[in-house]
Amino acid sequence: MSVSNSPAARPFLPPYLLERVANGGSPRLRECARHTLLVDSRFRARAGAVTLPPGSQRRGEPARYVHSAEQQQVLPGKLVRREGQGDSGDPAIDEAYHGLGATYRLFWEVYRRHSLDDQGMALLATVHYGKEYENAFWDGKQMVFGDGDGELFNRFTIAADIIAHELTHGVIQHEAALEYAYQAGALNESLSDVFGSLVKQRQREQRVEEADWLIGEGLFTERVAGRALRSMAEPGTAYDDPLLGSDPQPGHMDDLVETREDNGGVHINSGIPNRAFHLAAMALGGHAWERAGWVWYDTLVDQRLARNSDFATFAGLTRDNAARRFGASSEVVEAVREAWRTVGVLP
Amino acid sequence: MTQDPVGEPPALGPGRVLRLSRQGGLAHFPGLARPRCVHCARCSEAQLSELQSLLLALSGIPDREAGNDRRRFCVALVDEGGEVLWSQVVAEESAPQALLAWWRRAEIAPLKKKTDGQA
Repeated sequence: MSVSNSPAARPFLPPYLLERVANGGSPRLRECARHTLLVDSRFRARAGAVTLPPGSQRRGEPARYVHSAEQQQVLPGKLVRREGQGDSGDPAIDEAYHGLGATYRLFWEVYRRHSLDDQGMALLATVHYGKEYENAFWDGKQMVFGDGDGELFNRFTIAADIIAHELTHGVIQHEAALEYAYQAGALNESLSDVFGSLVKQRQREQRVEEADWLIGEGLFTERVAGRALRSMAEPGTAYDDPLLGSDPQPGHMDDLVETREDNGGVHINSGIPNRAFHLAAMALGGHAWERAGWVWYDTLVDQRLARNSDFATFAGLTRDNAARRFGASSEVVEAVREAWRTVGVLP
Repeated sequence: MTQDPVGEPPALGPGRVLRLSRQGGLAHFPGLARPRCVHCARCSEAQLSELQSLLLALSGIPDREAGNDRRRFCVALVDEGGEVLWSQVVAEESAPQALLAWWRRAEIAPLKKKTDGQA
């Protein structure tokens, strides 16, 4: 087990996870742990504790702020790059800055949305969060990116779609505010993947057949047997690795996963609406952000989209919004309807 | 999504196992979400005392914080038969660092052959 230091006690521990400090039973570690416990609350990032800096008064222009936590778990950390400043030479800082810009441009240039709240809200990101921190998240006011552990994960700013994914959580928060659990939570996750992918595709000027439809490509190190975190085209095929396990995403309602883990499977069942978007976009061809993207955006900001909406409700609204924007007898309506049928959400 | 039963943690002792798992984040990785086990029978009195204090400290810690893609820690005390005697979920940012240290060095449960998302 865990607290013993005998070789026989470690067969299940992958090398990268081996505790780097002394034996758990040592007085030094216990003292260390007690000390850490005491000072915990002073150093940990608190949810939404940051006061946002000024946003942008000019529609069409973002207000970006990139901070560095300098390997601490503090938010927002030290301001290292703000709007208009040149590259810093630090990849994480510059990737975050440009990723924020690419996301702002998709929402503004395509959907005429002025930042997350459509009121010019400051785009705030913190990089170098924590030590070997293997995650990125949206805390309710800003994005946070770890550097990864270098064993399984690279830095989390490396993929533009991940930056856009986190920002889209901010857009959702200001619109439908979908609950982060079960099907509503999976819709929340899926919408973030959809617009994350659209940002990447638009950056690369890709048509639907040229896009890889992967989320988080580049995040894994070479040691991982996997292409990305998720595949929108083929949910459940993104990775199959001895340490990570195999990609658990379903692509059809018949395989919907019922679980209490992962907030009720929000990152698992999002595979179903992700695939529906992919199917609709592929059927329509061209640039995914132009027609399929518009339908999904119209639905994201639709007042009828309730906080606890399920897949079927969302699917019905996309069909309705496709008809409103492109006409009831348009090929867009048919493509959207067929996509949801194929994944088993609509009859 | 806190699991039952909750309340004050029972006393740790031989035959009981503390299961720690980290869930959530930007993606769900079944392998990384597998529970890790601390077998009380293999702990010293001092270690059990530290763990008991940690469990007591968990009450009152929020099970989640605002935002999305955050990670959470699930702590469960199970008996010899595998029955859950007590469990608690806490937001990672609020979880005691000492608990995270225990999680890092705890024994990882064997991986199921094919995940169903319920690692």
